[in-house]
Amino acid sequence: MRKTTSKAWALTAGVASIALLASACGSSDESGDDASGSSDEKITLTVATFNEFGYEDLIKEYTELNPNITVEQKKAATSNEARDNMNTRLAAGSGLSDIEAIEVDWLPELMQFPDKFVDLTDDSIADRWLDWKVAQATTEDGTLIGYGTDIGPEGVCYRSDLFAAAGLPTDRAEVATLLGGDDATWEKYFEVGKQFKAAGTPTAWFDSAGATYQGMINQVENAYEDSDGTIIAADNAEVSDLYSQVLTASTTDGLSAGLKQWEDPWVASFQNNGFATMLCPGWMLGVIEGNAEGVTGWDIADVFPGGGGNWGGSFLTVPAQGEHPEEAMALANWLTAPEQQIKAFVSKGTFPSQVDALESQDLLSVTNAFYNDAPTGEILANRANAVSVTPFKGPNYFAINDAMQQALTRVDVDKTDDPDSSWAKFLTDVKALG
Amino acid sequence: MTSVAMIEQTSGKGAARAAARRRKRGSVGSANRRPGWVTYAILAVVLLISAYPIYYSFLLGSSDAGSIARNPIPSFIPAEHFFDNVSRVLNSDIQFWKALSNSLIVAVVTSVSVVFFSTLAGYSFSKLRFRGRRQLLVFVIATMAVPTQLGIVPLFIVMSQLGWTGKLVAVIVPSMVTAFGVFWMTQYLESALPYELIEAARVDGCSMISTFWHIALPAARPAAAMLALFTFVGSWTQFFWPFIVLGSSNPTLPVAVQLLQASYFKDYSLILAGVTLSTIPLILVFALAGRHLVSGIMQGAVKG
Amino acid sequence: MAVISPPELDPELDRAPRRIAMRQRLGRWDVKLSPYLYVSPFFIVFAIVGLFPLAYTAYVSLHKWHLIGGKGAFVGFENYAYVLAQPNFWIGLRNTFSIFLLSSVPQVIIALVLAVVLNNNIRAKTFWRMGVLLPYVVAPVAVALIFSKMFADSPTGLINTLLGTVGIDAIRWHAGVLSSHVAIATMVDFRWTGYNTLILLAAMQAVPSDLYEAAVLDGANRFRQFISITVPMLRPTIIFVVITSTIGGLQIFDEARMFDQTGQGGADRQWMTVTMYIYELGWGAQKSFGRAAAVAWILFLIILLIGLMNFWFTQRIASSGTTAGKKKKR
Repeated sequence: MRKTTSKAWALTAGVASIALLASACGSSDESGDDASGSSDEKITLTVATFNEFGYEDLIKEYTELNPNITVEQKKAATSNEARDNMNTRLAAGSGLSDIEAIEVDWLPELMQFPDKFVDLTDDSIADRWLDWKVAQATTEDGTLIGYGTDIGPEGVCYRSDLFAAAGLPTDRAEVATLLGGDDATWEKYFEVGKQFKAAGTPTAWFDSAGATYQGMINQVENAYEDSDGTIIAADNAEVSDLYSQVLTASTTDGLSAGLKQWEDPWVASFQNNGFATMLCPGWMLGVIEGNAEGVTGWDIADVFPGGGGNWGGSFLTVPAQGEHPEEAMALANWLTAPEQQIKAFVSKGTFPSQVDALESQDLLSVTNAFYNDAPTGEILANRANAVSVTPFKGPNYFAINDAMQQALTRVDVDKTDDPDSSWAKFLTDVKALG
Repeated sequence: MTSVAMIEQTSGKGAARAAARRRKRGSVGSANRRPGWVTYAILAVVLLISAYPIYYSFLLGSSDAGSIARNPIPSFIPAEHFFDNVSRVLNSDIQFWKALSNSLIVAVVTSVSVVFFSTLAGYSFSKLRFRGRRQLLVFVIATMAVPTQLGIVPLFIVMSQLGWTGKLVAVIVPSMVTAFGVFWMTQYLESALPYELIEAARVDGCSMISTFWHIALPAARPAAAMLALFTFVGSWTQFFWPFIVLGSSNPTLPVAVQLLQASYFKDYSLILAGVTLSTIPLILVFALAGRHLVSGIMQGAVKG
Repeated sequence: MAVISPPELDPELDRAPRRIAMRQRLGRWDVKLSPYLYVSPFFIVFAIVGLFPLAYTAYVSLHKWHLIGGKGAFVGFENYAYVLAQPNFWIGLRNTFSIFLLSSVPQVIIALVLAVVLNNNIRAKTFWRMGVLLPYVVAPVAVALIFSKMFADSPTGLINTLLGTVGIDAIRWHAGVLSSHVAIATMVDFRWTGYNTLILLAAMQAVPSDLYEAAVLDGANRFRQFISITVPMLRPTIIFVVITSTIGGLQIFDEARMFDQTGQGGADRQWMTVTMYIYELGWGAQKSFGRAAAVAWILFLIILLIGLMNFWFTQRIASSGTTAGKKKKR
């Protein structure tokens, strides 16, 4: 008796589980039916973001304004994860959110496929953003892929205590003048670095050759590719000049701390006077503050070598595969309006890219105690307005820039190559992209 | 050497001696005396190395961002912020409790199903004769050689065709039975389940499935406990696929805990408090599974 | 004696006592079909989550295929030719094999030794057995953090400090090829040695204790017992451990990727493995799904080949142990 029951049970269990599998597969088509809602119906919009966009309260506000709409935020921790997620869903052709936040770094790879996105062009908001921010997300034939959210205008962060020890001025206005003020150049920046070193301090002038180069290359209009996409990286004298300039400063003149950003030694160096200056986009302020906890003397100067510079920033896109493109577009529009972006800035510090937001008192009056009470709102707004060049970033831009960063790291950090042999490897990498 | 002759017998058909032998199985070392302090010293060192990272997570989780920045290698005495950090984790918007229950569901269902189906298949591959058996087993092993990175896109296509994206079933089904489990059970039963036991059951008139139920399943217990443990832990710590297919709105624990890193400056005291919190259920499972791993092996079969 | 061809079983099965015809016919079907029914769940699941991806990848590898842009022209084996001509592919292959050997050889040996130790009649068995498996439950983010502090390049890193006290210069773990491989192999072994230990331990527990008792009567010492009883009895499990760690080792991804923040395997590709190369081709800046698929298939074939060689090799080793014993007996 016992045997037969358990036998029967086991058989049923086995068969049932197989049937379960089969029926589960069969039920596949049903989920597609409940789609398609008309405008009056209650709909749910999903917004995929990463890091901190500061949208939690804004979304609540929006759903109160629009009772028929529910908004669900899907967060990823880092930009890389968000990118993996988005690429998988683009490749599979389904599953994207109604609004997808993307970072400027992976914008070019999506710009090649404007038909995967809703064209967001809308005359009423044409002047909402800084020109170069809009240019970043506009394809050659004028399709606007994304609405700008935040930007990363760059200033120069410095350690006033180390400056004092080396006999340099410490006041942020004087430091700005020391570095050349409005006419600041990279030559000048490195020159002051040599002055700093000459005072006999063991501290390096800047943290990393790669990060410094990043500031330089972002001021070149066509660095690696012609505007038609032809790769010119290998023969562009501008690129090889910057390469040797930054490496000469880094190794020959010993200005670089030889650290790679985000790696452990770099993080640790904030606690033991690793370097005296670094290029800092707005979002870097919190990173320095966190890593340098307990260290006094950090300040920020309203200056940037070689003109203005921007590092990073994001956009909201509306993928074409979504079911509610119009509603999604309206939400993206609302989220990126100056009023909302100021609220996001106040709650999470994402620096706005909207012209009106940059003039808002809420933003201009912001100061930061860690940086000796520097008026960071005003400084970063000035830095954003100083940006004049929109570098062309075609489909191969990030592959080539990656290869370049590796070339610099080999010399500056790993010290496995000299500038010439590392350049040769860079050329091989560029060739492999063909 | 008699022992060698006996080895040959175990895989042969010496049915007469099987019953007597069975009772003696279990702790192999029963004939040995208790080992000396050197053994314990070795084990203590191994345990120290093994446990340090977990303790380290706890140390950082009970610290705060500032002191982590200042002292990269923490002291052995935990700081006092652990419960602050835990409440920060629980009060953040990462849906910790939902993630915990999702992880539990996924881990329990996959563990049970992997153990059952793998034992079933392993029994079949190791002890039953059927056409194409060898080829099928080689095929099973070969499937482990498929690089997983590329599988993600086609797998996602399958899941969205089935309408499973965002649902737990999309994480459960792909791991309901694994090549690893089937191979492991095949190899284990190969040496642990004597043929004479199966014969005896068949002679008694047991059907195939009840032979499996009363003979193979009990014999597989230690290996099954191990497989369950591995599957549970593997499922618990799996990140990339749940992240891709579920996303943060219906997360498993690693996906949720990962969200604590969502800012440019990473507060490791918060992150590792979350990590520690999500490891606690695993330690409990360890305590439970551990009992089975040391219990006698063939006793179930003798009773059956 | 192949692992997967146990002694013949049929005669016994057919000798089962005769019952009424109906029952017997059912029984025959039972005997014939059950084995297939039992293995079918695996194949059903595999068809959904394994076979389709595999076939899909093969199809992709024969096309020009942008990850986002989708399918382009059919190019035959052009993607294969392309990747085989890339220095980075061969660097990836070198790194993969180097890390694999540096990690799996010590790992299997340590696991075997630990399993023997744990198989002793020790006090608090559960405690120690679970203890060795602890690294397996540590979240990857914690592992990455700890190891980045241990293997920091600066002289103040944990390991470099230790080396300094015995007068060895600081090693630049992230700059050198071999040093980075050693560091990554350590990470791998940290996580997986305990895992393999328990697998071997479970198999050891299934060895009948009277074999050892008989051996003790024969006057065999611990080492002889290990060689003549434990190893031959563990043969299937050792084969299992070797094959799964080979397959896993050649697909190494997580540990190498977590070794720095960029996850590209170093500026000079010091520790870029083949799977990382697949990822870079398909998901990195190039987004060439076709080329990535080609590398995936090449890797698949390499693993199959090595797996089969392994299988053959471990079988020979394990069975030669038995034959040696047989000769002694005479």
